[in-house]
Amino acid sequence: MLKKSLMLLAVAAVSLCFFGPAAFSQEDMKNVPNEVFGAPRRPAAVFPHDAHNEKAQIEDCAVCHHGGKDGKMDKEDMTAGTACVECHPVAGAPGQTSLMRAFHKQCVGCHLERKAGPVACGQCHVNK
Amino acid sequence: MNQLYDLAVGPLTWLAIGVFVIGSLYRLAAMYAMAKKKDGPYLTYMSWRFSLRSIMHWITPFGSLGWKENPALTIVTFIFHICLILVPIFLMSHIVLWDQFKGISYPALPDGAADLMSVAVILACLYFIWRRVSDPTVKFVTSCQDWTVLILVLLTFCTGFLSYHQIGSSLVMTTLHILCGEAMLIAIPFTRLSHMIFGLFTRAYIGSEFGNVRKARDW
Repeated sequence: MLKKSLMLLAVAAVSLCFFGPAAFSQEDMKNVPNEVFGAPRRPAAVFPHDAHNEKAQIEDCAVCHHGGKDGKMDKEDMTAGTACVECHPVAGAPGQTSLMRAFHKQCVGCHLERKAGPVACGQCHVNK
Repeated sequence: MNQLYDLAVGPLTWLAIGVFVIGSLYRLAAMYAMAKKKDGPYLTYMSWRFSLRSIMHWITPFGSLGWKENPALTIVTFIFHICLILVPIFLMSHIVLWDQFKGISYPALPDGAADLMSVAVILACLYFIWRRVSDPTVKFVTSCQDWTVLILVLLTFCTGFLSYHQIGSSLVMTTLHILCGEAMLIAIPFTRLSHMIFGLFTRAYIGSEFGNVRKARDW
């Protein structure tokens, strides 16, 4: 029994070494995913996740992946792994910021605050 | 450039809206006081019926003799004004900014329609420019201010069109577009663009005088 458990643990540890980085890294992410909008009227916003965070020197995931309760944002609560749309529905509701507004406020708000990064529509929603 | 954009979408927007609203109210009040002083009796013959009758005739294409005189100008004028008013209010990119900064959202025009309507405004501006240059009568009454406001409208729609189609630097074009739009708002109370605030009152005044005093039509 113990042998079997150890074996399972070993397999889990090895697979975590191999697949773990792929599961947690956003290296392949080039755009903000917009499928959830159904028929979006603009191209997906350009967003190379890792390159962006390196350039912006963001190490704490909660800077973007924040939590919140009762319509109040909680920057201490890290929510990476939870889809944005779970708390920010496509159609906003009282106490719930709509997904589009959440994205715009998150990205443009930070860029205006830091006086760096794209702010005009066409800088992120680049036509192909 | 980010700072200029920040200034344009932030403080300058409120400055422009403030000047437009307060300036317009001031011009309306000043005009009312002047009319009362110079032509006091008009208050006795102002009438809703004759006012609305005049407005309805002049708001209808070819509804007045004036509109029948030059059909091309009439058509361009109507298309120009309808697009000029609808596009800025119902453009999706504008509503998105209201949503982003104020959480206000309402239905938008389809992109293709808004694009066509913007082109219509640009073409209408070119027609007005050509008319001011080529028609001796119009040329005679054209002042520097007429050119300023016409160019301002043309620039606002051209930069908007280029921003939408992502021609040139998006940041530069969008910032220029916002600044032009704000200049246009500020210009409304103090230039010939003030016909936006006075237009209906002018018709009401003339309509009432023709209807009640001259017993004649004013269309």
